[in-house]
Amino acid sequence: MGLSAMFGIRPLPPGGRSRKRATRALFISHGAESTPEGRSLRLLRRWLSPSQREQFGRRGYFEVIGSDSGKRYRIHAGASVNVCEIDERGCLQEGLCFMPIGALPIGDVMLAQKIALETCEREVRAVARRFTPNGFHFRQARPLG
Amino acid sequence: MAIQIVMDRTGDSRHLFNSHDAQELAKAEQRFYELTKVGFTAAIRTGPGQVCQIRSFDPNAEETVFFPRLVGG
Repeated sequence: MGLSAMFGIRPLPPGGRSRKRATRALFISHGAESTPEGRSLRLLRRWLSPSQREQFGRRGYFEVIGSDSGKRYRIHAGASVNVCEIDERGCLQEGLCFMPIGALPIGDVMLAQKIALETCEREVRAVARRFTPNGFHFRQARPLG
Repeated sequence: MAIQIVMDRTGDSRHLFNSHDAQELAKAEQRFYELTKVGFTAAIRTGPGQVCQIRSFDPNAEETVFFPRLVGG
């Protein structure tokens, strides 16, 4: 008896994986709208530029330009260890860990990070903890955009 | 109607007010300064995806978002 049969695991039919992913994305974007996470993500989407919204939906992150240095930053879905400076080729540089105090939902944290970097980058850099980014920090877990 | 959106653990708290009503406007102004005094940052949208931080109450702002003080993680 194979392991799949032993544990009752049925292989997905062709196309099943993408349907499962689409169903999950649909649930997140519609079913969870009334939760704190859903409300915060809806607010975030409204405040993103069209290109940031598109990028967030497709890639799970969006990019902003620092108000003081003009540097580009990538804000990934997450509430901490989710912001990284990127160079002109899009390569990850220094990671910045900062967030608003209080246990805010992800969308609120990301919106606060966007506003802060776009309006008071110097203050952000003064409080942020630095980290060296790697693939683990920025794995795309699910489409939230 | 104008709106002040204060981020909190429920997602946000929303305060609608009529900016043509002096009493409601005064209440909104009071809320603005109470929040910024305790460290909240206030921001408004100036265009699609464009944001601007404000340090004094703007009676013409249609939508103002407040988020708590930032700290390093």
